[in-house]
Formats: sequence, C-alpha cells, structure tokens
Amino acid sequence: MNNALAPRSTAKDFDLGKFLAGIARGIAGALLFALPMLMTMEMWELGFYMDRTRLLILMVLNIPLLIVLSDRVGFEQTTTWLEAMRDASIAYCLGIFASGLILVAIGVVTSDQAPHEIIGMIAVQSVPASIGAMLGRSQLGGQSQQGDPDSGDPLRDRETSYAGELFLMAIGELFLSLNVAPTEEMILLSYKMTPWHALLLIVASVALMHGFVYTLSFRGSHDLAEGTPSWHALVRFTIPGYVIAGMISAFCLWTFHRTDDVGATQALMMIVILSFPGAIGAAAARLIL
Amino acid sequence: MTKNTGHANIETNEPHWIEWTTGTLSALVILAVLIWIGRDALMDRDTSPDLGVSVLQVEARSNGFQVLFEIQNRSSQTASQVTVRGEVFEEPKLVEAAETVTDYVPGHSKAVGGLIFKTDPRGRAISIRAISFNLP
Repeated sequence: MNNALAPRSTAKDFDLGKFLAGIARGIAGALLFALPMLMTMEMWELGFYMDRTRLLILMVLNIPLLIVLSDRVGFEQTTTWLEAMRDASIAYCLGIFASGLILVAIGVVTSDQAPHEIIGMIAVQSVPASIGAMLGRSQLGGQSQQGDPDSGDPLRDRETSYAGELFLMAIGELFLSLNVAPTEEMILLSYKMTPWHALLLIVASVALMHGFVYTLSFRGSHDLAEGTPSWHALVRFTIPGYVIAGMISAFCLWTFHRTDDVGATQALMMIVILSFPGAIGAAAARLIL
Repeated sequence: MTKNTGHANIETNEPHWIEWTTGTLSALVILAVLIWIGRDALMDRDTSPDLGVSVLQVEARSNGFQVLFEIQNRSSQTASQVTVRGEVFEEPKLVEAAETVTDYVPGHSKAVGGLIFKTDPRGRAISIRAISFNLP
C-alpha cells in the first residue's frame, strides 16, 4: 500500500512507531476539538432530524477541505496530492471512529436506537472531529521531531498564497462556527438583540479580527512590509476574511436548519452573531496554522 | 501574498490585483449588510408581535385527524412560547379542542406546527389561533 501511495518512501523507511504516534495524535486532536460538540444536546438531536441532503452536502464538502488542510498542516509533511488524500481519509476515519466511541461512552448512542439515528449522530459529529484529527498534528506535536520550530522548519518557512490565507481563515471560522451554530443560544441571541446591537457587533468583529492579527504581538502575528499603509491589510485580508466568516456562518446555520422559515433581517442577524466567534476563529487560525 | 519566515509573517508590498478586487467586493458586501440592518434599526421597530395562523392541510392519520398550521409573524418583534389553540365546532357547540406550544416565531418569519383531533374537522367549523406568547 505504501509503495503505491508514497512512491518516494519504501517499506523499509516505514516507521511503525511514528505512524502509530500520528494516529494517536489524530485521535487526541479529534477529541480535543470535537468534545464540546459531542457533549452538546442540539448536536445529538440534529443527528436524527437533520435533512439528509444537507448532511450529505456537509460531509462531501468536508472531503476537499480535509485534503487541502492536509496539504497545509497534515499528520506529516505531504509532498503529493495522493498523500494528502490518504491523510485526509485517515483523518476522516479517525473522526468517525472517535465520534462513535465517545457517543457510545457517554451513553448517547445505545443499541436500541434505529440505525438511521446512530449513523446520523456519528456522521454530523465526524465533520468537526475529522478537522480536529487533522489539526492534531500541527497543534499537538510535530515540533519534537523537528527541533526548534523557528529554525528552518520547512512547514513554517514558506510563502502562503492569498487564497491560502483566506482558506486558513475559513478553517478557523468553520471550527468555531460548528461549535456554536447548533446551539439554541445563537438564534435566541438574534431575537434578543436589536439591529443596533448587530451593527455594533459587525464593527467590533472586524476590529477584533484585525487587532488579533496585526496589532497585538502574539506569536505568529503578521506585519506589513515597510512602507505599506496599514489600511492595505484591512482591505486585502481582514474585510474578505470577515465576509468569508459570514458566508461560512450562513452555511452552518442553513445546514443546521436555523434559517428555515426565518425572515431576511432575522437570518442576517443570526449570521452576524455567529460571525463574531467566527471572526475570532479566523484570526486565530492565521496566527496558529 | 504573505511571506512566512519563522514566526514573523510579513504581508508583501506588491499585492496582486485579485487581492484588491476581493477586498473591494467584500467591503461592498459588508456595506450592504450594514445598510440592510441599519434600515431596519431605523424604520422597523415594533414592540409586540403580530401573529396570524392559517391552516395548511387537514389529513386523516393513524392517530386521528391532523391539522397542519402555519403561524406568521408580521411584526419585527419575535414571539417565544406561542400557544396555539385549535377548536372544532358543531355549531354552536364546541366539540373538541387541542393546543400546542411553538418555541419561537421570529420577526417577519413563520413557523409550522400541527394539532391532532379525534373528530374530523373537515365539514365542521374550525378555529385555530394564537392565544398567548412570551417575548424572548
């Protein structure tokens, strides 16, 4: 299998210990990122009442997302798309496995439930869990083998294309959105807030997002090249990032039936509310990934 | 593009035209959202919901006669815990009543629910209306 998929490494190079460590890290990542969702009541309910077309769209969209993510930050440094696809499918499988395991362990999935319910519950949870499994490598490990991450780490020393930056923002946004989008609080907030609150929240989201990446000196902060006016970064990165956050929020809310039969302004307010954590997630992704 | 060396990310000074186009389009989208919500903030400030109920369909089901209804909220104020009461009359006498509670009917939106009667409401007088609500 290894010969066919990874032509540059032979079976002799295969390090079983390292491979198993990667799998363990993936499961750890899946748990770390998906536990809040695995323990959310709305996510269990979505598993059985969610429209199957929407569930299918979510699950199919997750595949290219994992492949591109694998290319960026996967279990190991991938050189070919075939390897990225292999790692993506491992991450997806780990996500399904970890979700199923936890749902059984916490007594949400029991043997007397219909297969329709069980499959649905595991399927909807496997999407965040698989992203978690993929991120597990970049967040939980890798550094130990690569020594000091600042000294010539091939993953860090590279140029990120514009689309790549936007993609990273989308991943961060998707992650935080998936955590909170299924909860009832998101729609309740949109009913409690007036349009004035929403307007203020838009401005605050954009300001926070920009501040996170450019002003506060976190590790991984971005700086502008000498002589570039500061509003350049706002127009080129932060504003598109916020619009992507809005689009992903809209997609999450639609997927989880939160926008069904809802008027345009109310739906827009929900998107604005969900984009607030999303914008922070997007900014954090640019710093971390 | 962003140059990523070590932990310092430097935005390059010669952005591609796509970056400016994306930025400008995004700014327009945000502006449109601000205008839309701002218009509602200024013009559409109802303080109480305006609920109307209409019957969508009546069907015979295994457990009785199922009446599917839709509540529309014509105001911008969301109603929560909306109690909908349905009554079937054999004029002038009340034959049967059923009630249900809908979690939310958001402003300018609708919600769908159902009532189940033992008597066939078809051919009889039926009244379905919202009888109470809370503000979220």
